[in-house]
Amino acid sequence: MNRSRLLIVLLGWNGLAAAQTPAALSEKDFLTDMPVVLSVSRLPQRLDEAPGAVTVIDRDMIRLSGARDVADLLRLVPGFQTSMAFEAVGPQASYHGAFGGLSNRIQVLVDGRTVYSPYFIGSVEGGLQTVALEDIERIEVLRGSNSAAYGARAFLGVVNIVTRDSADTVGTQVTVRAGENGIRDAGARIGWGSESSTFRLSFDRRADDGLQGSNGHNQVDRVNFRADLRPNAADEIQLRAGTLGITAGKGFPGNIDDPLRDARYGTGYLQFDWRRALAADQDLAFAYSHTEESFQDKFPYSLAPLGINDSIDVDTSGRASSDNLSLQHTWRQSPSLRLVWGGELRREGITSKPVYNTDATLITDFTRLFGNIEWRPAADLVVNAGAMAENSSVNGSSVSPRLMLNWHLADGQTLRVGASKANRPPSTYEKSADVRYYWNGQLLAITMQSSGTVQPETVLSSELGYLGVFPSLRLNLDVRVFHERINSFIRQLNATVPKDYGNSGDFSLQGLEYELKWQPWTGAQFRLSQAYIHSSVPDLGPHTDSGLALAAPRLASTIAYVQKLPGSLDFTLLHQDSGTMTLQGAGRDDQFAFTRTDVRLAKALRLGSKRAELALVVQNLASPYPDYAPSFAFQRRAFVTLQIEI
Amino acid sequence: MHLRCLIFSVWLGLIGGPVVTAATVVVVSSERSAAYLEAAEALVGELEKGGLPRQEVLHISAAEWSASGSLTPKLWVALGAQAADTLARAQLRTPVLVTLLPRVSFERSLRLIGRKSSPRFSALCLDQPLGRQLDLIRLALPEAHRIGVLWGPETKGQAPALKAAAMAKGLELVEADVGHDEALFPALKYALDGTDLLLALPDSRVYNSGSIQNILLASFRARVPMLAFSPAYVRAGALLAVYVTPAQIGRQAATMALTLLQGKSLPETPAYSRDFEVAVNEHVARSLGLTLDAHKVRQELRRIEGLP
Repeated sequence: MNRSRLLIVLLGWNGLAAAQTPAALSEKDFLTDMPVVLSVSRLPQRLDEAPGAVTVIDRDMIRLSGARDVADLLRLVPGFQTSMAFEAVGPQASYHGAFGGLSNRIQVLVDGRTVYSPYFIGSVEGGLQTVALEDIERIEVLRGSNSAAYGARAFLGVVNIVTRDSADTVGTQVTVRAGENGIRDAGARIGWGSESSTFRLSFDRRADDGLQGSNGHNQVDRVNFRADLRPNAADEIQLRAGTLGITAGKGFPGNIDDPLRDARYGTGYLQFDWRRALAADQDLAFAYSHTEESFQDKFPYSLAPLGINDSIDVDTSGRASSDNLSLQHTWRQSPSLRLVWGGELRREGITSKPVYNTDATLITDFTRLFGNIEWRPAADLVVNAGAMAENSSVNGSSVSPRLMLNWHLADGQTLRVGASKANRPPSTYEKSADVRYYWNGQLLAITMQSSGTVQPETVLSSELGYLGVFPSLRLNLDVRVFHERINSFIRQLNATVPKDYGNSGDFSLQGLEYELKWQPWTGAQFRLSQAYIHSSVPDLGPHTDSGLALAAPRLASTIAYVQKLPGSLDFTLLHQDSGTMTLQGAGRDDQFAFTRTDVRLAKALRLGSKRAELALVVQNLASPYPDYAPSFAFQRRAFVTLQIEI
Repeated sequence: MHLRCLIFSVWLGLIGGPVVTAATVVVVSSERSAAYLEAAEALVGELEKGGLPRQEVLHISAAEWSASGSLTPKLWVALGAQAADTLARAQLRTPVLVTLLPRVSFERSLRLIGRKSSPRFSALCLDQPLGRQLDLIRLALPEAHRIGVLWGPETKGQAPALKAAAMAKGLELVEADVGHDEALFPALKYALDGTDLLLALPDSRVYNSGSIQNILLASFRARVPMLAFSPAYVRAGALLAVYVTPAQIGRQAATMALTLLQGKSLPETPAYSRDFEVAVNEHVARSLGLTLDAHKVRQELRRIEGLP
């Protein structure tokens, strides 16, 4: 069935369901049993019972932050580093260090779908761009290794993007934004439906001229569709589909190794989710998704230095796809025991002649079994014990266990202690890259050839957490003390020719981070986050591809102050102070510290019966700071946004 | 007749007793399902405690009523809306107490025959008094001040009364109408916007098995808990409910019947249950970070109402 026919069938169904008319009220309305709606898997774990530290950025905070990208929002989360460059697909976010130009040690999910890029070594830049900020309900950031629940990519943490239910976005919304640095964003969203089914279609564009000093003009175009179908109370079906296109300028004028050009990255996806409540205490969730990925970046490279009056193509283009099938059973066996278990099949395929020197599709099959038990041996104690067993057709099997204990010391006071182990198998590129250059059938060079000897890297993570809620002070505090031991760290070996991937020395990341939320007076909200990270990365010598040392700053702080003002005004002040760190796209000699201050002033308007908001944002009030590479800088950007709900 | 009485006795589990010959009270049930039997059994038991032997109570179903034309009880009791309609149409001279039905159903029966509530055709309703529901809100969620309400065609008439009662208790109502042809969504969105609780009042246009999923999911997404009117809604996902059980209704109907049999009359206006239960969905409460003890809340609510 093609997409449009499927849609018609669904709309027809919608029409039928809407035609039902309830009978007149009688005692039946009081006495008849009702289907269980808030069944076990729909009731999320409380933050103080979750097996790890969680930062939630909700819809209000997203709006009030003035951010235009998910990556930019993650600055609010303690332990995160971000970059707004489009050099590596798109803006980047990493937790406790990116360790390079692509961030591939955190997992990103959009409505449960894994969006890391198989093509770009499992990195998250493209995935973070999947949906428009306006369509996001909240972003849950699970700080700390979480492979027991989210698989190999959740090596250091998870960014879980939850989009708004289409039932909450019925109507039309239009957003336009314009400002300095060529900022020209626009978006439109329409939502429709009946009580049994709702739909949303969103289009948006995000564009600007990028970082100062870079050929950084970029444009992100997105289309996202979501349908929420509730044929009866026991079943819930969601359908999602969308496309993402990123066009970004790269290169430098006059640089034959890296000339000015545009690179294009695109993804398309289809996702089907079906959840059935088997009983009040049991749910079954089935999910299937298919994701396509493509990348085009090619430029002619002159062979003049070799005395040949010709050129060859330097090409990194290719495509990838992934299919994901999962089944999960949630069972509340008793009030003190809840079990989630299931299995997942995933296939990733990558095709790129220039990168892998073959026309064949390189396929990796993953089989995963996972389970977690949430057990309450006593009223004030919650034990979460879980594990994921993963088999990769390329890298073999591994098990990622986790044990976490949450102890409610007193009302609103929780202590959390636990440990976990995670494995990240090398990506297809790290395992099988073979980049060769031919001219007239003659091999000129092999610049990268993965020997395939690289082994999975592991992290042994232990943490002590504290969660305090002080209602009388209107204050919440979340503290995480961590020790993350990374073994067999996967890195590019630059000393060899051709380059290869291998496992380097072990090291540890340890430190403390906290997040404090405080509402000292009416309409005010402070959000302070700080992370102190000590890394024991050994000096790997001058031939490391990028600086592993100081991949995350020793100390980084972010403070957000939000104030509601009279006259329907909202004011936000956001200040970030990052200690010295190695720029993601640079080497260990390019380490910088920076500060950035943003302000936002917005006024809620009523245009007749329509609701609107007009906002002025200035990002980075002070001087430009280096971002991604020493020659690029994030400069001041003032822009105005108008959002109208029709 | 004797055979039918025997069948009814078997139905009520009364086999072994003498067969009813002259019924003082005839109970007419809309159906023979569990809730009606529970109410009937409680009614018979309570009448027996009050001195009326079981043999003098006849229990038939509404479908069987037409064949029982020769009965001349002192009181007819209707259990459920269908039975109420049947007895209303019969234009009986003997007093009728209709119960185990919501007030709007009773009013519909009255409209059928163009009568008003009177001591000759009186009701004991399933609905909970508005004041009791508001007291429950204050007890269970003392922080809640803005209360969302969805009015449908069957509840709209209660709007002024609820508004006044809410004001008196320092609560603010956020009201939205769901008319016959209006979509639920905009109203629901409005009633959940910035409110602390959604007060569900029984209206089949608004709350039914087809809409409950959307309403509960939307309210949960908005972190606005629901106070509902039946334990079924609590199982479905409402935070809590105050309701009367069929047995409680049966017992109170028996008390009213005994009063009548002692020579007094039935109340002129519809009565509400004195006794009630409180149900809490502990899983929902936990997820919302609330600690609620249904038993404790019920006891406190009873104390407010001067009950033991």
